Amino acid sequence: MTRKRWAALILVVTLLLTTFSVTGCGKAAAPKVIKIAVAGPMQFIQGQHHWLGAQMAAEEINKAGGVTVGNKKYNIELVQVDTNELLSVDDAASAVEKAITVNKVNAIIGTIRSEASMAIQEVAMDNKTIMMVCGASLPQMAEKVGKDYNRYKYWFRVTPVNATYLVKASMLLLNHVGGVFRKELGIQKPKVAAIIEKAVAGDPLAAAAAKLIPTFGMEFVGVWRPSPTATDLTAELTAIRKAGAQIIYTYFSATAGVPYAKQWGELQIPAASVGINVEAQAKGFMQATGNKGNYEYTLNTYAPVQITPKTLPFYEEFTKRAGQFPTYNAGTYDAIYIYKEAIERAKSLDPEAVVPELEKTNYLSAAGKIVFNKNHDVTWGPGYVTALGTQWQDGKLVAVWPNGWEGITYPGTVDYKLPPWVVSQWKKK
Amino acid sequence: MNPRRLYRRFASEVLVLPGRTTVLAVCLVLLILPLFHRHPYTLRVLSLTFIFAIFAASWDLLSGFVGQLSLGHAIFFGVAAYTSALLNLQAGLPPLVTIPAGALVAVLMGLVVGIPCLRLKGQYLSLATMGFPIILTGLVYLFSDLTGGELGVSGLARLGPTRLSEYYIALVLVLGLGLIMWKITDSKVGLVFHAIREDEITARASGINTPLYKLLAFCLSGFFAGISGGLYSHFMRVAGPSTLSVLTSFQPVIWTIFGGVASIYGAIAGTFVLYPLMEFLRVAPELRTLIFAALVVLVLRFMPEGLTPWFIDRVESECPRCKEHNAVTRRTCRVCGAPLGRPSAPGAGPFQPGKGGRVAG
Repeated sequence: MTRKRWAALILVVTLLLTTFSVTGCGKAAAPKVIKIAVAGPMQFIQGQHHWLGAQMAAEEINKAGGVTVGNKKYNIELVQVDTNELLSVDDAASAVEKAITVNKVNAIIGTIRSEASMAIQEVAMDNKTIMMVCGASLPQMAEKVGKDYNRYKYWFRVTPVNATYLVKASMLLLNHVGGVFRKELGIQKPKVAAIIEKAVAGDPLAAAAAKLIPTFGMEFVGVWRPSPTATDLTAELTAIRKAGAQIIYTYFSATAGVPYAKQWGELQIPAASVGINVEAQAKGFMQATGNKGNYEYTLNTYAPVQITPKTLPFYEEFTKRAGQFPTYNAGTYDAIYIYKEAIERAKSLDPEAVVPELEKTNYLSAAGKIVFNKNHDVTWGPGYVTALGTQWQDGKLVAVWPNGWEGITYPGTVDYKLPPWVVSQWKKK
Repeated sequence: MNPRRLYRRFASEVLVLPGRTTVLAVCLVLLILPLFHRHPYTLRVLSLTFIFAIFAASWDLLSGFVGQLSLGHAIFFGVAAYTSALLNLQAGLPPLVTIPAGALVAVLMGLVVGIPCLRLKGQYLSLATMGFPIILTGLVYLFSDLTGGELGVSGLARLGPTRLSEYYIALVLVLGLGLIMWKITDSKVGLVFHAIREDEITARASGINTPLYKLLAFCLSGFFAGISGGLYSHFMRVAGPSTLSVLTSFQPVIWTIFGGVASIYGAIAGTFVLYPLMEFLRVAPELRTLIFAALVVLVLRFMPEGLTPWFIDRVESECPRCKEHNAVTRRTCRVCGAPLGRPSAPGAGPFQPGKGGRVAG
């Protein structure tokens, strides 16, 4: 090759490189991104639901053109943060600090374990980063916002309603069953036994059950406290049968909920079961109980019912993708939309501008209307997020509450069914 | 002292041995690191590393030196974390007061654990020590109004006003307390600790009040673990049931065995390697624990006595006459002048009680 040809070749290559570098290698400039950290124990179902919920929202938003902040367009980029929080608190806090300071995320959503969530809250507040909880339910985190607003104002809870309201809602389910007993069986003062797992969260519940149940016009016959991981509850169930209970108020947050429901069905304990049984929220519950868990009635967040127009599309898409029903951790789906709307209203990504807009949130989510109270906690009650009562009927999970409570009945809600063996035991001949 | 004599002494004590020179170099790097790199995440990981290194060294003091295998070391860590947290929140005391106070309560806990365990040995002692954090966790849940139950207590005062100050507080403490623990094990008390571990009956027959020394070991170990617990609670600004968990009890065991038992610096080195490694492995979150475990097993397969003895065996050799250590490059002993010959085979050198392991010279 002659020297002239070499020079021409070098010139062409240089020109091409210059052109590509100016135009970004021939492609259009990539849109800017808003980074959101999805923080949760990603090796566990809670974290997986955090991630999938957020992923669905981010995909929908990006597909619809992204987020408009002022006159700029952004796409949402999710950063998966495996907090390992069920095992290690310092691990969780370090993971989130990395997301904030290395990945430069604009907001954090997720977290489940209360102790770790508190540590993460401190890290997020130190860095003045918006944190939206979709998992931890204890009210103390929200109380901090009220006590020291300037430091904790960046914290919000999207799901679930806090533990105080969870107890209230579960008592409403009990009242619901009490009403069915009065109406269908003519028993004016049904006898209620409480079976509450021996865990910290259960302690105040056990005390409250003894105090509150008589005020509902029911007779309280006693409380039983099995281990949260018990595999045999025959002794408790037999004692409850002997006590003459007609309703069992339950609180199971762990695995004991499965053997409980299985043995309750097998032994045909003549008492309707209602309350909180987290295992009964899972898609595999009927299989796990050998189809004996039919008629189990539990507090829940999502069900195939139209709480809002968004509920069913979300529920169906999530179930299709995950092969599981969404748990309250999947509320990251709504958290992303809430954050998007707040930054669009604020026309800024600056947390100081976004917080006042988040405080004004009035968002129709898949779980109900989300409005934050003065402590930035999700509001519970009629017209807001109410939670649901779901029952297994003929192998399907259906919503049975609210069914007329405070005038609320979500389309798709069906009537609660008493177990047939309970009816045959107590129906006045 | 004359600066020239001081330097000569420093050179003859430290610079002549590659092991000690390495320790010095690591300390200097850590001290000047923030001048070049002060990213908050890096400083956070390193600060936690320093805090846990104190914890691991405290376990080594009790289990490595005295042979009292504690599988419930979280009791000291957790009780101090809660004490510091509650004193800070309820009485408004600053970390400067709450951390030593927490450590003193951990010393008392050392007596509470030590006295009933005096007659126990081996696996029975390990099982008994394992029970104490479980009991305390039960109490934490029982008195949840005070302890916050499963949520713990949070919103504590920061360890220092900035991340940089927290880094230096933790660094100075790990170096200072590490040195104190090493000096304890290098003293006459340390010699007694070794004697108890090697043969308690012979030690008693020699007139040593072994129960007293074992209690002393529990209290000393409790004190240092307590300092780390207090530091942890103020650094994290949370003290919860996880500080008493089985994982918290097992972590110092892994770090110390990896670094090298019965040396103090081995426990510190093990933590310095493994804690940041676990952070680095976040690049593969789903394989993180698997890779970590595989690496630990592989390293211990080829370094059965741990990382620091393996390293020292390669850079130092032992004089066959006076047993003093020399740089592996020397042909004659720096103390007695005896010919050194070839360096001893890795892991073959005899253990030196009372001299802080093989590095002592």
